[in-house]
Amino acid sequence: MKKSLIILATALAALVSCEEWEPVYTLDYDEPKAFEPVTLEQMNQMGRHITIAQLAARYTPGNGPIAITEDLFISGKVCSSDKAGNIYKSFYIQDETGGMEIKAGRSSLYSDYHEGQTIYVFLNGMTVGMYGYKSGNYGGNGMVQVGLEDPTGEYETSYIELPFFIDKYIYKGELGAPVAPTTLSESQLPSKNGTVASCKYLGELVHLDGLQYANNVFTLLYLNSNDNKKESSNRIFVADQTWGVKTWAMSKNLMGKYLESGLWDAIKIGNSGDQNYGTVGDHKDKKDLLGNLVNGKHYGDIERQAGTVSQTFKMGNTEVAIRTSGYGRFGDYKIPDDILDGSKTLSVTGILTLYQGDIQITVNSYEDFTYADGTPLPKETMTF
Amino acid sequence: MRKTILAAALAFATGLGFVAMGAPQAPDSYSGGVKGTVIIRGTKEPVQGAVLNVYSGAELVASVKSDEVGQFKVDNLKNGMYVVVIEASEYLQNTVNVTVNDGYVKNMFNVSLTPTQSMENMEDASLMEFDLDDSGYNDSPAIIGGSNDIFNNIASFGFSAVRFKTRGYLSESQDVYLAGVKMNDAITGYSPYSLWSGLNEATRIKEATIGNEISEYGFSGYNGSSNIFANATNVRKGFRASALTNSQFYRLRLMLSYASGMQDNGWAYAFNVSGRFGGNDWIRGVYYRSFAYYAAAEKVFDDTHKLGFVFFGTPGERGKQMGATQEAYDLVGDNMYNPNWGYQNGVVRNSRVAKTHEPVAIVKYDYTPSDEFQASVTALYRFGRNGNTALDWYDAADPRPDYYRNLPSYFYNADPDLNRQNTGKYAWATEIWTHPDDYPQYTQVNWDRLYDVNRLSLDEDGNMRSKYVIQERRVDQNDFNLAATAKYQVNHFLSLNGGLSAKVNRTEYYTRIDDLLGGEYFININNFAERDFGADPIAVQNDLDYYYAHGNTAQKVKKGDKYGYDYFANVQNYEGWVNAKYALGNLSANVAGKVGYNTFWREGVWKNGLFPDDSQGESEHKSFLTYGAKAGVNYVIGGNTRLYANVGYYNDAPKFNQAFLSPRTRNSIAPNLTTVKTFSADLNASYSANGYNVRGTLFYTTINDQTDLMSFYDDLQNAFTNFSMVGIDERHAGVELGFKVPVPVPGLSVQGALSMGEYIYTSNPYMTQTVDNSSEMVMENQPVSYWKNNPLYSSDGAGGYVEEITGTEKHYVPSTPQTAASLGLSWNKNYWFIDLDVQHFRNAYLDMNPFYRTDVATAGPDNKVTPNEIMGLTRQEKFDPCWLLNLSVGKSWYIHYKYQLGVNFNAKNLLNNTTVKTGGYEQTRLIDNTTSKTRFYRFDSKYFYMSGFNYMLNVYFKF
Repeated sequence: MKKSLIILATALAALVSCEEWEPVYTLDYDEPKAFEPVTLEQMNQMGRHITIAQLAARYTPGNGPIAITEDLFISGKVCSSDKAGNIYKSFYIQDETGGMEIKAGRSSLYSDYHEGQTIYVFLNGMTVGMYGYKSGNYGGNGMVQVGLEDPTGEYETSYIELPFFIDKYIYKGELGAPVAPTTLSESQLPSKNGTVASCKYLGELVHLDGLQYANNVFTLLYLNSNDNKKESSNRIFVADQTWGVKTWAMSKNLMGKYLESGLWDAIKIGNSGDQNYGTVGDHKDKKDLLGNLVNGKHYGDIERQAGTVSQTFKMGNTEVAIRTSGYGRFGDYKIPDDILDGSKTLSVTGILTLYQGDIQITVNSYEDFTYADGTPLPKETMTF
Repeated sequence: MRKTILAAALAFATGLGFVAMGAPQAPDSYSGGVKGTVIIRGTKEPVQGAVLNVYSGAELVASVKSDEVGQFKVDNLKNGMYVVVIEASEYLQNTVNVTVNDGYVKNMFNVSLTPTQSMENMEDASLMEFDLDDSGYNDSPAIIGGSNDIFNNIASFGFSAVRFKTRGYLSESQDVYLAGVKMNDAITGYSPYSLWSGLNEATRIKEATIGNEISEYGFSGYNGSSNIFANATNVRKGFRASALTNSQFYRLRLMLSYASGMQDNGWAYAFNVSGRFGGNDWIRGVYYRSFAYYAAAEKVFDDTHKLGFVFFGTPGERGKQMGATQEAYDLVGDNMYNPNWGYQNGVVRNSRVAKTHEPVAIVKYDYTPSDEFQASVTALYRFGRNGNTALDWYDAADPRPDYYRNLPSYFYNADPDLNRQNTGKYAWATEIWTHPDDYPQYTQVNWDRLYDVNRLSLDEDGNMRSKYVIQERRVDQNDFNLAATAKYQVNHFLSLNGGLSAKVNRTEYYTRIDDLLGGEYFININNFAERDFGADPIAVQNDLDYYYAHGNTAQKVKKGDKYGYDYFANVQNYEGWVNAKYALGNLSANVAGKVGYNTFWREGVWKNGLFPDDSQGESEHKSFLTYGAKAGVNYVIGGNTRLYANVGYYNDAPKFNQAFLSPRTRNSIAPNLTTVKTFSADLNASYSANGYNVRGTLFYTTINDQTDLMSFYDDLQNAFTNFSMVGIDERHAGVELGFKVPVPVPGLSVQGALSMGEYIYTSNPYMTQTVDNSSEMVMENQPVSYWKNNPLYSSDGAGGYVEEITGTEKHYVPSTPQTAASLGLSWNKNYWFIDLDVQHFRNAYLDMNPFYRTDVATAGPDNKVTPNEIMGLTRQEKFDPCWLLNLSVGKSWYIHYKYQLGVNFNAKNLLNNTTVKTGGYEQTRLIDNTTSKTRFYRFDSKYFYMSGFNYMLNVYFKF
């Protein structure tokens, strides 16, 4: 009897030590250890530090992407945030020499990479490339980015994306105070062929004052975003004038309202050199085979979709486009009338970038827009 | 005659049966009778509580129960030939012919029953549920009760492992009664077995019907029914303790029961407690920590009144399993890969845990004033909590490890049209997924990261706002039932039986915070609405009243707080039924009818920001008049052979969970809701006599006008949508055969079961699709053109198809083998029993997603339907056939004629077949970012597999 009790006890003890038994006894799980930041010393064990400007200088616009095969790393503080949804799948870091976009490829990156946090990017295996480069007189530089190789060749880099790669290349350091923006004068803005070498503010958080509304929007929509987006007949450019677009961007819901308001009826469908596909207004009463409105509504064959909008301003004589995502939290807010009519100027804090030589500002949050005296912009929505 | 019917009707109407009956006709008095002892074949142990029905031809002339030592006596039989049918739970039915002559009481001595596979050993095999919260898929046991039927006995032991469904019917079509109350869930129709799982001793005695048969406790439907007595006198007398270990579900079950039996003072009481603990050999992260309790008392007052009380509950929690794609299974090298768990501080933690405690209280009153009339009324109340946890997140990356963007297939596909050519990422993703033990932070839930994110997510006040939480989705029922039945033997050839029932259910649906994972609060807003209504602070509110009352801020919810949604489902079902049975000579026949009134409505607690006018308060009350009719004939040949047939027509109301388009946010009811119309007929032959048991059945059933409802992300709308389908028709036809036949070796029998049928869809339903956030119509009443079948096209020899139709492929009712067969040997002697069975299953199909079968999906972005698109999207997957080998061995010993020690050992899937798909579902998303922009592709389906070799060892001791 005693013997069998010992056997039973041993068997139970063996069972209890198994991993599957843990939850049976675990009424409350122990919390994991607190976050431990990676230090510069640890990074120095892995490779050699270079500045963002040094990394950017390795890239020559037009010459294609560069694969890094040395144990190098850059470091910088996070200066962007995708919290408000205006920046997507990427974040920017800046050191004293310039800013750099890290193509992380996940959503809600601000949960992992906090504004002001020091980030180390280990470069061996990564690719440096440019997005938004266009050659020729009407073109100009885009932005140097760090990502992975894009074997399809569609872009110069691809998103890091895979959690394994994110952990392999991006190291989280000390948290810190958010980066203070640098206030720029018109002369400090980049030229259309600017690089980090010529304008260190590219990719950094900057502050601009005295922006005058320029009555010019740009947004590209598709009749059907599941169809070929490159096909001219599928493209609707809301461009060259305002077309009644008084908001920073447009959510899917708001885009439908703009469309149904008739404000866009005169827009010609197609690329600028190929506008032979009728107008938006032609779709207002499109009927299906049974004679009903397509999908039961006006413009029923035009997909309701979020639209990313560039609203053009002038800083002195230099055009600055404020580019805002239709998927963000504040794109539907109306630009105040006193800014639209030019009686007041806009001050803005955001990431300074180039796209085909055009200067663009992308803000992190709605609070980054203010009047000249620093008062915040009201949160008005569009009415039709 | 008319007066007595009226009296019976009145008795039903009062629900109490207290109405005094007309004086029963004075029976003639005879001195003849039969007596004997019911024993277990092979072991000669007495069987207590066996029911012995004595028939003259098809007429029931007497019914008695065996006592504690198995003895029975039937008096007052006139001279003649009789058939005694002996039935007991967990034994095969036996039939014995007996002749009473010269007015003597004939001693039949020992009447033996063949034990079936005991439910106590196998309940979990048949009760394990699939856990597919996100797919809308659910499942419950394959076979209910009816273990004294030879087919059901064999099928319930072996067939449940492959999710066999009787005659291909949905399991919710099986009616489960408890103490005379229909327990099927008011909202979904599912049989709530988990309410009493772990109480095997308390719930083992039951009565059951098959197919269209009618029972004395309820009208039920076309897929049989069972009634678990659960009263104190139906628990085995004395103490009984058991310890069980198995390798498929949990490691250890300890159980203790005691029943007093009926005592001289008229009281009986019983209790049963158990605990089930641990994980298993096959699925990691899954575990049980489940308890069960049961207490019952019963009091008899002067033999005509009996009052019973029962209270039980099964508090506990259970870590769950999820399906995954074949890609994930193949990479990990394990068809039982479970993405639900991950390491937290090195400890395995499951993100999906069922946490339930739903007690049931029963009061039952039986009134038996005479042999001719009996009535009973039961009040039953079910309440408590039923929760399922899952990860939830706001504005953060998807934490599920097998999210499709984490798998290699997202990065590379050989077909250039899928635009997945990143070989570098493919290679690394493959490396990770093929080494899950080296990279558990990527192939399982990465808890440590979730805590990091939450703890570093500081708001302007420096408080930690959780991005990831564990939510608990609660379905808390208040289910009150009243059921009355009465039975009246009008004369020797006519009996009436009927009942009234009411079910009033009010169930609260809500989510609450189960764990903030290191953070301090979570915010109660609708992140799906935020996608489409970015700047609108009203639209994103889940609880608009709170928002307005608190200075236009959404609630910061803490552990235990409600968030997301909060509403009540109200369901009320009332039913009355009556059955008239005629029996004369060798023929009996019955006709029965049922009328019911079902009504349900939603009642929103919160005002949702998306639908401020249609979310709070009561929805339209939807009501349905239901009815059904049944008829049966039964012809007895020579006492042991029966030929019988049943036919039924049923008009059943749709369920609450099929009616509301988006119950979490609004009151909208699916369009064109209607009742389900079922016609069912069966033709049967059976034979039972000393050791022989055979039943064969032909069945034919049509089920028309079913509705279905699902919600999913539609890549074409780039929005979450609600998809309702109406007019789903099915046809089930087939044959069922079960037999157990002795062979000329003492104690040895051959046993087998076969179920072979064709269960197909016979209509193309119509669907209506709306956008969840706006209730905007996407498609209205459009056909699902490829639901019942798809055309087959000729191959072009290069993996594609050309415009030449070569045939049509039918689509089948999924998730059950349409052919299931078992053949085995059973040996039973000297307290030993050994069963060895080989089983074969084939023609099982995957559950279809209707969206892939619509014209919109097959047309593709270019709006042109091609053979490649039809073949790619509309075909139904058929599972591979499989062979299984099962063994069970049992032995028991009597010690000092007083104690009994027993051992049962089951070994299932001896061939260790780990490639048997038991179910799954198609995902609803489409791959639409192709290079050609001419067609869509499917997402990979998710599957469940059967576990490989597993065993169960049960040791019990009776004292």
